[in-house]
Amino acid sequence: MRQVGSWVGRVGTGFVRACVVAVVGMLIPAVWAAAVALGIRWGPGNPWSWLAPLVLVCVGTPVLARPVCRTVRRVVADWTGTVIPDGYRRAGPVTRMSTGYWWNGFGYERTSRDALLDQKWRVRWGDPANWRDLRFTAVVPFTAGLVACLPPAGVAAAVVGLLQPGLAPRLTGVLGAVLAVGCAPYAWRPLEPVAVRFLRPSPAMALADRVDELTAQRADATVAQAAEIRRIERDLHDGAQARLVGLGLSLATAEKLLASDPEQARTLMREARAGAAASLAELRELVQGISPPVLTERGLVDAVRALALDVPLDVGVDADDGLRLDPPVEAALYFGVCELLTNTVRHAHASRAHVRLHHDGVGIVVEVEDDGRGGAGARDGGGLAGLRRRIAVFDGTVEITSPAGGPTRVRMAVPCESS
Amino acid sequence: MRIVVAEDLYLLRDGMVRLIEACGHEVVATAATGPETLDVLRTWRPDVSVIDVRMPPTQSDEGLRAALAARREMPGLPVLVLSQHVEQLYARELLADGAGAVGYLLKESVFDADQFIGALERVAGGGTAMDPAVIAKLLSAGSAGRGLDRLTERERSVLALMAEGLSNQAVGRRLFLSESAISKYTTSMFGKLGIGDDDDGNRRVLAVLAYLNATSG
Repeated sequence: MRQVGSWVGRVGTGFVRACVVAVVGMLIPAVWAAAVALGIRWGPGNPWSWLAPLVLVCVGTPVLARPVCRTVRRVVADWTGTVIPDGYRRAGPVTRMSTGYWWNGFGYERTSRDALLDQKWRVRWGDPANWRDLRFTAVVPFTAGLVACLPPAGVAAAVVGLLQPGLAPRLTGVLGAVLAVGCAPYAWRPLEPVAVRFLRPSPAMALADRVDELTAQRADATVAQAAEIRRIERDLHDGAQARLVGLGLSLATAEKLLASDPEQARTLMREARAGAAASLAELRELVQGISPPVLTERGLVDAVRALALDVPLDVGVDADDGLRLDPPVEAALYFGVCELLTNTVRHAHASRAHVRLHHDGVGIVVEVEDDGRGGAGARDGGGLAGLRRRIAVFDGTVEITSPAGGPTRVRMAVPCESS
Repeated sequence: MRIVVAEDLYLLRDGMVRLIEACGHEVVATAATGPETLDVLRTWRPDVSVIDVRMPPTQSDEGLRAALAARREMPGLPVLVLSQHVEQLYARELLADGAGAVGYLLKESVFDADQFIGALERVAGGGTAMDPAVIAKLLSAGSAGRGLDRLTERERSVLALMAEGLSNQAVGRRLFLSESAISKYTTSMFGKLGIGDDDDGNRRVLAVLAYLNATSG
């Protein structure tokens, strides 16, 4: 009984879906058919009778292609869970140049309104994805559309046939009904493979997207690196270098005074020694910020263990043994953990945290948890965004779950080999 | 004392040798790499050795590993490890065997010749010489609920100086207190921490370090 119920349900759903596919797939052929019908109605006598149908076809097809494709993507995603990336061009930001003109990614315009209009037009009609959409609308009627038409066609045959007297039409009607019921659960299914095959971004588009992504990452990385180098230069210039100059001065003076005033010379020597110690302390801080020595000496796992010891929290560390990665990845992850633990100390009011590092076959996964009050994403804008950027350079991901009230859980994953 | 110096940078090695010899001790051998260090320690069995953490061939923690390996072979071999940075992790590894006669200091501790030689002598005598920064971190790392919070401020500062390896006398000088006052503090402190108080200074310091090591992190 229940099986019958579920089967009836599948037939019903399948029939509705087949009708939807038939309507969507046959929309553009219907426009063409309408154009042909229009031409026939105006008759061959009129020398201009081809004009209106031609306009209808030439305008209707490209205008309808994108909505049809969007609808197909949506129903495929809803019905089967297969998400097909659309690969359409996105409008970039419109920026004002120092010349006063507006740059919209394609050209310069005098006003921002012109720039936006021009950009909208170009993004919509200069997109190579339009050709792919057109190809799809040409393919669909002869494949998925045709199959999807079977159940409604069967129903139509049944209605027409059973209403007419005579054995042959009735037999046809019964056959139509059997056909409609039999293929209803399956008739919409060809849409998925066809859509996956013809609607996904072409390799060229995927490549273009990837290039955009990499360009953005490179820009981020170079900006971050330049800022870092400037910081190091400033610190060295104002700190250690200045101190060393002072040191040399003290020593030179002491040398001069050695014969005449040994007591004064001794004082200067002592000062020089204190200065040397101070500049070493400064350099130590600086080096820690550039690349912590323990990371160079021991690798990521021990560096995280050392970090855990220094944090004024109870931090547990679990790690796969013998995990060695490329130094740049290790550095990024180390500073990531550093950032997260600092946040935990500063904002989370946590009493303990836990760090897990393991290799899941695809890449390295680092999870940092604390038992604090949560709400991390909202609380900390800059730091976590910077962390994402730093990890993104290696195609890594950062997932943050931090409900109000805690606990906060951050998972960093970077695809890489463990040597 | 017969001393071994292991340091890869010629300038520093030479400077250290000169400083040690100027203070009237003998440098019997020097080493510039990790494996070399281990060989020299085996050959000479010095009264104390000064070892740099980062050395060739790998430029990782070769020196520290050589020191740990040497102490595994010859328990209680006195080593003083020097580094540009102090890491709690390394301090714990050095203290782990509980044999004492270890030091772990920043390189600039050589600036003060008297203190440096003092540290060398302490380590050679089976004591310890720990960098104040390490001790401060050992004391602070989540110290709540581990008995340390029962100590008074004064007792904590005595504990920190003692953990660095100073004698009661030296602690007293630093805190401007008499030696007898210091022993009063230590007695009450050990009572609170549940450490047996005996007269041997080194064993006492080791007990403190072991305590800190076991209960933090």
